[in-house]
Amino acid sequence: MVDFLQALVDGVMLGATYSLLGLGFTLIFGVLRRLNLAFGPTILVGIYAGSHVGLAWPGALWAVVAATVVAAILCGIYVERCSFRALARQAPVVSMISTFAVWMQLQELVSLFEASRTMPYPSPAWLPALTVGPILLRSDALLMWSGATAIMLALFVLLYRTRFGTAVRAVADSSEAAALMGVNVSIIGAAAFLLASTVGGLAGVLIAQSQQQVTPYFGLWATVKGLTAMLLGGAGSLPGAVAGGVILGVVETQTLWHFGGQWRDLASFALLFLVIALSPRARSEPTL
Amino acid sequence: MSDYAVSLLVRIGVEAFVALSAYLLLVIGRVSFGQQAFFVIGGYAAGIATALYGAPLAVGIMVGAVAAGVAGALLSAVMAPVGGIYFAAGSLAFGELVRVALLSFHYQVPVGADLTGPAGADGFRGVRALFTGGVSATAFMLAVAGLVALTFLAIALLLRSRWGEAMRMVGEDETASASLGVRVRRVAALTMAGAGALAGLGGGLFVHYATYMEPGHSDVMLGVHSLAYAFIGGLGTPLGPIIGVALDIGLLESFRFLAGYRMIVFGGLVMGLLVVRPRGLLDEVAVHRLSRLVAWGRR
Repeated sequence: MVDFLQALVDGVMLGATYSLLGLGFTLIFGVLRRLNLAFGPTILVGIYAGSHVGLAWPGALWAVVAATVVAAILCGIYVERCSFRALARQAPVVSMISTFAVWMQLQELVSLFEASRTMPYPSPAWLPALTVGPILLRSDALLMWSGATAIMLALFVLLYRTRFGTAVRAVADSSEAAALMGVNVSIIGAAAFLLASTVGGLAGVLIAQSQQQVTPYFGLWATVKGLTAMLLGGAGSLPGAVAGGVILGVVETQTLWHFGGQWRDLASFALLFLVIALSPRARSEPTL
Repeated sequence: MSDYAVSLLVRIGVEAFVALSAYLLLVIGRVSFGQQAFFVIGGYAAGIATALYGAPLAVGIMVGAVAAGVAGALLSAVMAPVGGIYFAAGSLAFGELVRVALLSFHYQVPVGADLTGPAGADGFRGVRALFTGGVSATAFMLAVAGLVALTFLAIALLLRSRWGEAMRMVGEDETASASLGVRVRRVAALTMAGAGALAGLGGGLFVHYATYMEPGHSDVMLGVHSLAYAFIGGLGTPLGPIIGVALDIGLLESFRFLAGYRMIVFGGLVMGLLVVRPRGLLDEVAVHRLSRLVAWGRR
């Protein structure tokens, strides 16, 4: 029972970062109706930038965070220009293939500057671990959860309580109708992209400080986790992406705890496959 | 011909099958990130047939293609009605499921002095039918090239037939084609089985050339690459994906002097190409013009 609770708590904390990745995916997919496969790799570049800053100025955590987020945003702008704006009049699948080309570029960019395959990432080591009854709350996991929750709250206030957020949700609902109501669809699309890159960069900081290292595989990993979180919650729904991320996190930690590490990925992909196989919505989706 | 050139051509031929497999699904409007799974299923099945049960090379490769085709048909029971981003994600999940499952797939049989067969994460080693059969690398390369040419012809003829017409209709608009009497579910299921068999054929050829295969060959990057090939070479003809493979492998090899910048240059080229020609080099318009040119030349 304690094992189950411990795995549940760990899963919720891990899942909060998956929720952030899922929200980043949903912001782009919801507004532009296109998949950004390069979402993970943009975060990867951010984390590598942060890692290099952390090596150059040990102790300057704020600089690490700033470097991570700024690099992720710059890469996001690059992706938006090359794969979305330049291809706005083409079929959505063309954008997706183009983001894959950008992915190859970003991955190579990272390996150009790497000192070694695995880069260290600083974490605030002074935070204490908490114990609540028999449950242990690791400090990095706690930071991951509280940081992700704060970012999600800020994001939901922005999206549900401001004029800008209303415009974003209107475009996501129907870009034609939003355009007729005087919303500048193309600016909202770019803004959603910026917002998604910022959320992605912050998620990258939280994940990297917990893992304390990063490898070039992070790009693929983050894209798959974000895509899974978005689809588990029903593609395009913001609260759904949050729920999807938490479900994914809990399923992963529970299988890790009860069955062992090699089943962790199997369980998360089986979950995604089952949801798609059983979802009535998947059957009514138009082609990409 | 040098060994290096032969191995390069075999690689192009093998990947052309996976690219054609992804192309067939694109024709019916499905974007698949999972064709690498069928590549590996075909490779394992073909390897088991020849290395473990002593089947002749050609029979083994057929077994691989059939096994992957059956796997495609089974998957279509679940995925045939699924479209759009869900098909893409579902095929990705399927590909990764196969990869992870193979990590713990052990099936070893004593052959001669030692155990042979798939050994989990260590992969499937010792598939030597090509060498024990005395087939030279050049002869094998020619056989692969012949198979690619045959497959191209078969797909080109298929796409000109009533069946191909139905496939293209499904790719354009499922609701409209269903209302015109096209059995959408059946077209999708048969295409998925055929696409699986094609990728499996590539896998069966690969495993015998390389003498081994491992779960890592079901990397999602293979699936996404083979999807991109059609968009580089052109969606207007099944020649497109083959050209895409040849361009990718050929260009990357000739970019060796750019060590460290290859993918940056190549990614940039693909990105630029998609802006100028969003449906690839040989898109429908280019194919139409070329065929008119040929017809005019004949007059």
